[in-house]
Amino acid sequence: MKNSRIHTFSTPIEGSLATLTGKYQGLILVGMSRAVSCQRCLSIYFNHNAKDFWDFGSRMKFKGGYNILLKGRPDIQVKVMPEPDELYLPLRSRRFVFSEISVKDGDRVNSGDILAKDPDNHHVPLLAPRAGVVRLKKDKDQIVLEDIAQLEEHADIDEEELSHIEHEMGAAGIKRYRLLTLGAWQFFYDAYTGVLPDPLGTPQAIIISTMNLEPYLARGDAQLQKRLLNFTRGLEQLQSLLEYQPIYLVLPKIESEFADLVRNHIRGYAWVKVMSIPLTYPYDHFGIIARKLGLGHDKGPVWGVRTEGVLATDRALTWTKPCTVRIISIAGTKINSPCHIKVMPGYPIKKIKEQFVFEPAPRLINGGILTGEIIGEETLGLDTECKGITVLPELRDREFLGFARPGWGRSCFAGCYLSALRKKFFERFNTGVRGEGRPCISCNFCEDICPAGITPHLIHKYLYRDLVEEAEQAGTGLCVECGLCSYVCPSKIDLRQQLIDAKKLIEKEKEEIRKEQLRQEEVAKKAAEEKNE
Amino acid sequence: MKKLLKIVETIRPTFDEGGKLGLFKPVFEALENFLFSPSTTTLTAPHVRDPLDVKRVMSMVIISLVPSILAAVYFFGLRFFVMVIVTYAAGLSVEAIFAIVRKESINEGFFVTGFLFPLIMPPNVPLWMVALGVMFGVFIGKELFGGSGRNVFNPALVGRCFLGLAYPAKMSASWLSAGSGMTGRIFEYASASSVDAVSSATPLALAKQGEFVSLSHMFLGSVSGSAGETSAIAIIIGGVFLLFTRVANWRTVASTLGAFIVLTAALFAGGAVNYGRLGMLDAVLWHLFAGGLLFGAFFMATDPVTSPTTNAGKWLYGIVIGSVTVLIRNFTGYVEGVTFAILLGNIVAPILDEIVFAVRLRRLRSEG
Repeated sequence: MKNSRIHTFSTPIEGSLATLTGKYQGLILVGMSRAVSCQRCLSIYFNHNAKDFWDFGSRMKFKGGYNILLKGRPDIQVKVMPEPDELYLPLRSRRFVFSEISVKDGDRVNSGDILAKDPDNHHVPLLAPRAGVVRLKKDKDQIVLEDIAQLEEHADIDEEELSHIEHEMGAAGIKRYRLLTLGAWQFFYDAYTGVLPDPLGTPQAIIISTMNLEPYLARGDAQLQKRLLNFTRGLEQLQSLLEYQPIYLVLPKIESEFADLVRNHIRGYAWVKVMSIPLTYPYDHFGIIARKLGLGHDKGPVWGVRTEGVLATDRALTWTKPCTVRIISIAGTKINSPCHIKVMPGYPIKKIKEQFVFEPAPRLINGGILTGEIIGEETLGLDTECKGITVLPELRDREFLGFARPGWGRSCFAGCYLSALRKKFFERFNTGVRGEGRPCISCNFCEDICPAGITPHLIHKYLYRDLVEEAEQAGTGLCVECGLCSYVCPSKIDLRQQLIDAKKLIEKEKEEIRKEQLRQEEVAKKAAEEKNE
Repeated sequence: MKKLLKIVETIRPTFDEGGKLGLFKPVFEALENFLFSPSTTTLTAPHVRDPLDVKRVMSMVIISLVPSILAAVYFFGLRFFVMVIVTYAAGLSVEAIFAIVRKESINEGFFVTGFLFPLIMPPNVPLWMVALGVMFGVFIGKELFGGSGRNVFNPALVGRCFLGLAYPAKMSASWLSAGSGMTGRIFEYASASSVDAVSSATPLALAKQGEFVSLSHMFLGSVSGSAGETSAIAIIIGGVFLLFTRVANWRTVASTLGAFIVLTAALFAGGAVNYGRLGMLDAVLWHLFAGGLLFGAFFMATDPVTSPTTNAGKWLYGIVIGSVTVLIRNFTGYVEGVTFAILLGNIVAPILDEIVFAVRLRRLRSEG
C-alpha cells in the first residue's frame, strides 16, 4: 500500500516536468522543493491518487445548492463606460465605513490619493479613482469629486511609514502595506466570516476563486479575458506573501476552451493546488470550500480572493499602481443586453440606468439577486465593493387563481408545476413573494437545499421559542448566508434574515460572556492580591 | 377578471380593522388570496422567490387524491360527495372561528383534511358522525396545538380514531358492499335506508375468520372498506404522482411499505401467522392491498408536519408505522391497525428527530 502511494506521488511530478516551459522552470523547482519540504502538503499529496492528483475538487462531496434558472444573465462582453463628469463615492459599503476623512472641501486630489479610511477595518483606504476637486458639503454619506480628469495615476504611499514598516517587518511587510494602501486589500476576505482579514496576519491557506456563481454577478471569465498573464503574475505575487502555506485555485468543472487555457497557464505552478468544482450556487463560497478542504476554523485564518483580487494584487505589487477601475456586471430581467461594464467606484448610477435600464421603476440591487442589497434613491454612486448591479422589475399584476395555474413557465425546486415535464428553461422573475406567509410545514426543502449542511427550519423553530443556545448548537454559525433557504421556502419565511440575526445575537452573547469572564478573573486577581498583602 | 379585482378592492376597507366587518378579516383575506395571487413583494435578499407556496402544495395533494375520489364515487355512490361537503362545512367553521379568535389567516391545511377525512370513513356512516369526527379532529388534533404547522397529530386520523373508539358499533355497521359493473354505484345515493345498501364486512374482518377475498378485487378496490382506501391502483397512481412532485417524501413511503412487507414475510416464513391457502407472495401482496395501509403510507404518513423532518428520521418513522401495523393486524383484537400505527408514529416522530439531530450535531461539531 505504501509503495503504491509513493508511486502516485512521483508520477505527476514527472509528468509536469515534461511540460515545463523555460520561463517557469526555476519557479516550479522552487515550488516543488517547498511542497516536498512541507509535511502537511505531503500528506495532502498522498491522499490523492494519480488520476486526480492535480485536482482537489474531484474528491469533494458537495451537499445542497441550487441554480435558479433566471433570464438576463450577463454575457461575456465588457463595455467601457464613458468618463463621468462627477463621481459620488459612498462612505459606506457592505463591510466598510470610511469614517476617517483625510481631505478637505475644495481640495484638488490626484487619482490614487487616499480620501478616507476605515479605522475599524485595518485602515483600509477609499481611493480617488480620478483626479478632481473634493466636495464634502453636499452630503454627509458621500464624497463628491468634481472636475474629473483622467491623469497619471499616483500611488499615495507614505514614505516615512513605509520605511518604518520595512524596519519592522522586512520586505514582506512592504508588500502587504502596498496592497493595503493601493486598494488591493479590500478584495481579500476571511473565508469563514467574510470580513476583511488582518493584512499583517499569516493565513493557513489562500483560496482563490475564479467564479462568482451567484446569479447576475460578474463572471470570472469576463474579468479574466485578456488578463491571463496578469492573473498568473498575481498568483506569483500572492505566493511571495506566504512562506509554505498552500494556495488553492478554484476553477469551474467545465470543458471549455477558456477553462483549458487557464489550466494550461497555471500548469507549471506546482504550488497552486487546482480544484475543479461544479457550477452550482454557492459551491464557490470560500467558507464552504475551506470546510471541505478541512481547513479548520480554529487552525487560523483562511484568506479568500477572487479573480479581481488577484489582478489587483498584480497591479499593486508589480506596477505599484492603485486599483480603482473594476469590471462589474449589469444584469437582470429588464435590462438592455446584460453584460459587464468597466467602471470605477463612485460612478453615477443615473448614467448606468440611462444606458441599460428600460423598465420605468425597477428595483436596483447592489450585488447578486440572492444576497444583494437594495440601492435606495439616496445612493448616487457605486460603492467600492459593488460586484454587480442587478435590475429586477417590481411585482405589478395579481394573477387570477394564480396557485391553480398549470405553471408551464414557472421553474420550481420541487416538481409542483407542469414545467417539471419540460427541459431546462429560464424564467423572468420579479420581486413578488409569490405566496402568503404561513407557519413552517416542515417540508424540509430548506435542509435539502442548504449547502452548509444545517437545518434552517429547525433553527427557525428554536428561535421562535427563544432557544438561542439550542439554535447555536444546531450550527447557526455555519450558515453562509446564501439565501437559498428563503428562496425555496413554500411558507415564505425569511429564514436567511433570521439566521443572520441569530448569528449576530449569538456573537453578542459570546462577547458578553467573554467580558464577564474577564471581569471575574480580575476580581479574583484583586482578591488574591489583597489576601497576599 | 379586472372587474372582479376592482370589486374586491372596493369592499376590502369594510373588512379592515375598524371596518364594519373587521372581525371577518381572515375569512375575507383567505377568499381574496384564493382568487388573486398575493401582492406582497420581497423586502430584503433574496429578492426572488420560488413559485411554490403552501396553497400549491396542498393543491398537489388534492390532485393526487383525485383517482381515489373517483374510485370512491364509483364503488360507493354519490353519497361520498355529500360527505365531503359536510366535512368541509363542519371543519371550515371550526377553522374560521379559530382564525378569527387568533387574528391569523385561514390556513390551507384544512382543504386537504377535508378530502382525506371522508376518504378514510366507512361509506355509509351517518352524516352527523362525519361532522362530529372532523370537528373533533380539527379542534383537538390541530387547533389546540396552535393550528396547521404546529400540530403533533394528523387531524383526519384523530377524528377517525375518535369515532372508532366512541361509536364502534355504528362504525362497523356502516360498511357497504362495493358497486360493480359498468357504472358501479355512480348513479346511486347509497344510505342506510336504501334497499341496495348491504352492510358487509371488510376483507380484513373476513380474513380473521379465515376467508380471503381474491387479490384482483383487492387491487381494483371492488371490496368493502373505507371510501377511498379500497382501490390500491387508484392510491398508487395518486401516490406516485405525489412522490414525483416531492410534496410527499419517498423515504417515508418506502420504509413504511418496506418494513411492512419484510415483517409480514418474516412472520409468514417463521410460521407465526397463517393465511390459509395463500402462498408467501400472495399473502404479502394481499395484506399490502388490504385495509388502509397504502392510503396511510402515501397520504397520511407523508404529512410533512406530523412526520419527522430529517431524512434519517423518516426512515425510522416508516419502520415504526409499517411494523406496528403488522403487529396490530396479526396479534390484537383489532382487524386494522394503520390508524393507530400512524398516530403512534406521530408520537415518536419528535423523538426520532431529536435522536437524529443529536447524532448530526456531534458530527457538525467535530467538523468544526
